[in-house]
Amino acid sequence: MGSSSRIIEAYIGEFACGKSEIAINRALALLKESRRVTIADFDLVNPFYTLRPLIDKLESLGLKVIATRTEETIGLGEAGMIFTPQLKWVLRHEGDLILDVGYGPDGSRVLNLIEGIWQNPELKIICVLNIAKPITSDVKLIVEYIKGLGRVDAVINNSHLGSETDAEFVQAGARIVTEAARALNLPLLYSAAEESIAKEIGRYDCMENPVVPVKRYMADAFW
Amino acid sequence: MDNNKAIKKEQKVFMTGNEAVAWGALAAGAEIMYGYPITPQNQIMHTWARLLPQFGRKFLQTEDEISAGFTTIGGVLTGKRAFTATAGPGHVIMQDAMSMAEMMRLPVVFIIQQRGGPSTATVIYSQSELVLTTHGGNGEGMRIVYSTSSHQELFDYTIKAFNTAWKYRYPTFVLGDGYQAEMRESLTIYDPEARGIKMVPAEPYVGADGVPGKDREPLQLRNTYNTEEELYEVMSGNIKNFKKITPEILEWQSIEAEDAEILIVAHGIISRASHGAVNNLRAKGIKAGLFRPITVQPFPDEALRKAAEGKKIVIIPESAFEQLATKVKRGMYGMNVPLDAFSMPGIGITSEEIEERVIQVHEKQMVRK
Repeated sequence: MGSSSRIIEAYIGEFACGKSEIAINRALALLKESRRVTIADFDLVNPFYTLRPLIDKLESLGLKVIATRTEETIGLGEAGMIFTPQLKWVLRHEGDLILDVGYGPDGSRVLNLIEGIWQNPELKIICVLNIAKPITSDVKLIVEYIKGLGRVDAVINNSHLGSETDAEFVQAGARIVTEAARALNLPLLYSAAEESIAKEIGRYDCMENPVVPVKRYMADAFW
Repeated sequence: MDNNKAIKKEQKVFMTGNEAVAWGALAAGAEIMYGYPITPQNQIMHTWARLLPQFGRKFLQTEDEISAGFTTIGGVLTGKRAFTATAGPGHVIMQDAMSMAEMMRLPVVFIIQQRGGPSTATVIYSQSELVLTTHGGNGEGMRIVYSTSSHQELFDYTIKAFNTAWKYRYPTFVLGDGYQAEMRESLTIYDPEARGIKMVPAEPYVGADGVPGKDREPLQLRNTYNTEEELYEVMSGNIKNFKKITPEILEWQSIEAEDAEILIVAHGIISRASHGAVNNLRAKGIKAGLFRPITVQPFPDEALRKAAEGKKIVIIPESAFEQLATKVKRGMYGMNVPLDAFSMPGIGITSEEIEERVIQVHEKQMVRK
């Protein structure tokens, strides 16, 4: 893929699998390559608990953020989510697009709302997996889970236990997710790990997948 | 059926508090959940409904919380380990059913994830449902309420709530909140039997085996009484029994309280922030301690009195207006220890804020000396 082609990636997966962290880190990594990057919040399942609190921080880092601020939903009650034209026509935004999508099969169905999404040749739907989620904790479960999601183009191993994560847990995730990806015939893009753990593991995990260090941003999301 | 065992081996997991509750109920062998959606407990229903086909459990979404409460009672009457979950205004209208469970002494398990009040208020968080949970409805508080402070506890106490309910036959509550519901952290999920926790069997009230009066005691299922005296007799019995079982039920945690000069009393998630404050204060040489009631109904009065004895002051931080403070006052009645209610209704309190409050109070105390 030449650097001139644009990148459109939608991140899906279970709640608390680390979708938003992966999406933010990816968007910032692209930004570092001097690309224009927009990150858009498509979590309609649980709109109150997403990128909202991080809008200012992400914008200050140079990202274009499409997300609803809490104060913009006043009067809509607890299910207050505005599906704005900006979201519907998100593909018209120039530059790379990182879409942070809600959890589970209903989450990924949200993509149907985006004008022209299924005709777009650049779209990649990436499922973020954490073996600490019981529903995706072994090979068989992951295969069933991904089959239930509809279209998935690639997976990422983001196995973690929050602040209790260690290198061994990431490696255990790498083994399981690699096997599941092979069974599904899907590419495993990389294993993600917090910076210090990534350093400990090295450039490749035990299954020869690249290791990408990630920074945690969502810990600041104090709703 | 072994296939129905939700957790085959102990597993370290990372999830939200709502998921932890759903897994706790699965592990406890709960057979059916009834419910009506309300934030911040929705994910309990989502998770339960997604997992139930795998483990042969059931779910009924009712038309509102009134119905959710009463259908849960119906499930219990037929001998099912049944539960529901709610919050805020949904919790308010479910109190009718909760009162009925109290009157009839039914082992119904209710999960409460507190949100901001009064009324619809916010979906986010508060501790404003403490009094509603312990003494809601037109009853006398004949309920057992566990106030949790972590995902591990949400899982553990959801299992325990079923056992407490079915052993003692009082409605039993797990009192969480919006922060615990949505926060993500790790915990260990397990099959209770593998840890030697025996689940108290559920049994039917209606349609039980045998002939009433011959093979078993006849059962009078009533929530209506004709005379004051009749009601008084039944309630006196319920209250007497509640008092008798109270010592077996009471749970609390006392952290660095013994040699403390200043005692913090907090429950739920705020007790966790308080624990952090105690550690920081100790590091600064201020002798602070923490008393945390886990059962907020019945309330551990005696243990609190013991922990508060001789303290310079007791500080009560809570995300509500003097709801816990009122219980503490009642428990400490007659003691010569000043109280400081640190009420922040509907908003979280951090360790740093508690620490700051303690330091302020500590300085004032020093001046007084």
